[in-house]
Amino acid sequence: MPFSPFVARAVSKTLGGQVVRNRASRLHFPDAGHGYDAFGLSPDYVALGDALAGVVYDKYFRVQSHGHEHIPKVGPAILAGNHSGTLPFDAAMMWVDVLRHTEPPRVARAVADYFVPSLPFVSTLFARCGVVGGSRGNARALMEAGELLIIFPEGTPGISKPFSKRYQLQDWRQGHCEMAIRYRAPVVPFAVIGAEEQMPQLATLPGFGPIPLIPIPATLLPMPVRYHICYGEPIPLDKEFTPEDADDPTIVKEAALRVKAAVQELLAYGLKQRKGIFK
Amino acid sequence: MISVLVTGATTPIGERLVRSLVADTRVEHVLAVGLEPPESALPFSHGKRLTYLRVDLGRERRIRELLFGPVRDLGVQVVVHLAQYDRVHAQGRSVHAQNVEALRSILELSDRHPTIRRLVLKSYAEVYRVSLELPVLVTEDHPLNLSPSAPQYIRDRVEADLTACARMGLADCEIVVLRCAEALGPGTGSQLYDFLDSPIALRAAGFDPMINVATIADIVVALEKATHGSGEGVFNVPGYDTLPLSECIRKWGAYGVPLPGPMVLPLYELRHWARGSDFSYGINRRRMHYGLVLDGNRAHTVLGYTPSFPVDWPIGGPIHKEPR
Repeated sequence: MPFSPFVARAVSKTLGGQVVRNRASRLHFPDAGHGYDAFGLSPDYVALGDALAGVVYDKYFRVQSHGHEHIPKVGPAILAGNHSGTLPFDAAMMWVDVLRHTEPPRVARAVADYFVPSLPFVSTLFARCGVVGGSRGNARALMEAGELLIIFPEGTPGISKPFSKRYQLQDWRQGHCEMAIRYRAPVVPFAVIGAEEQMPQLATLPGFGPIPLIPIPATLLPMPVRYHICYGEPIPLDKEFTPEDADDPTIVKEAALRVKAAVQELLAYGLKQRKGIFK
Repeated sequence: MISVLVTGATTPIGERLVRSLVADTRVEHVLAVGLEPPESALPFSHGKRLTYLRVDLGRERRIRELLFGPVRDLGVQVVVHLAQYDRVHAQGRSVHAQNVEALRSILELSDRHPTIRRLVLKSYAEVYRVSLELPVLVTEDHPLNLSPSAPQYIRDRVEADLTACARMGLADCEIVVLRCAEALGPGTGSQLYDFLDSPIALRAAGFDPMINVATIADIVVALEKATHGSGEGVFNVPGYDTLPLSECIRKWGAYGVPLPGPMVLPLYELRHWARGSDFSYGINRRRMHYGLVLDGNRAHTVLGYTPSFPVDWPIGGPIHKEPR
């Protein structure tokens, strides 16, 4: 990291105060012995991320959270929802929202696209805050450890969708349901309202190396839209199916369609409730 | 009571294992084999339960003479194979003979050997492929590094590992492969040790991967458990310490210098030519970008192995002085 854990502690305390430090100190995480878990998560950097993203959460996007009581307090679970906004501020706001609305605080382990670990600095900061590369093995290990995952089943096509397709769910992957069934975890659908308008996208250019594409947004920075995060009731795939059912493509496909429909419903509800893009 | 043959007995891990087996009341006799002359090998009391032989395992005839000579006469039941070249830049036919062909011969001969019933191979975490799309936490099913462009150091390790795996379940002799995290110490073949064995450790800026390091003590415990265990299989043997590379450099007392990624490789090549350092950044580049941590669940469940001995870091000190 460009700065040491000591600097991370000092910055998080200055920006976020004792509240942020206290929250980080109550985190339950599998310490591999030196203050990090096997994937690189560190409470000091979680506090830093909380403090930095918290300012954006409170002051810039002025996030309003609804239904966070549906987030399981313990045990493996998967949060699945829409992805948008050119830059992954929606994931960052979700991360802060979960951290602030769970007790004891839980770090939502975002499963990023496979190219993210190739990005210098970003990959390290993300890893310290609990993000993991999007491989099946990483997700399996986290599920077995009873962690809370955030998955955006739309993937890169979701975050790079054109403005004309806002709030229309793109091709919905099924891996999250397969994992939920196999590792006996409920799926909590969520919708992020606001992010789809934050950086209207004009075009995309082909990517290079591991980066799949380069977006061309209409604005250099995201607009200060108001975020509304809505969680739905957990879909109890863990209770409805046995782990062996994860091998049945029909069951997995139907489960994924149920999650998609729940997210679409939450999006419709959230859009109906909000009074305007910036309100 | 069993008798054990240890190849590579004069390596730091082999020496420690032999010492431990000699002290083990469940072991009747230890036959230690190495390349060093007897007078300079194994600097501790040999006693009656230890025999040391100087044998070049790169020659198939010598292996045959060993297995159907002293090994048969002593009634050795378990072979612990540690003999592999540990220098990255060692290459050629004789290196391959020692790294791979020796194991192949031992496996073949063990099939029709009257006393050998178990073979334990110490393999390496380096056999695993490190890639963007692969998990950081590595189980035994993780893809291996089968890249044709990999150096002989890697190719030999993968070939030896697969040679042992290919015979599992087919031979009378039980085969156990332990894919061990690198033991941070001199003479262990640890690339990380060579990396840290310099006041300045260069690394790619912006990347700070998680790494797992073991101690010789933990590797020896895993080898002992495999020696006395039953059944066969492949097991990861992780170390106690899992930490970011930058933290590892700091605790070792080196000065970490992050540089733009493309600059690091030529500088380490230069260092190799100037100082003869064995560290190869080319071999470790992916690990030093994306990380690799062994998942030891299977070894814990089947062998009862749990890493217990932390590295005695020069700076910062071990987190736990006592085994947990």
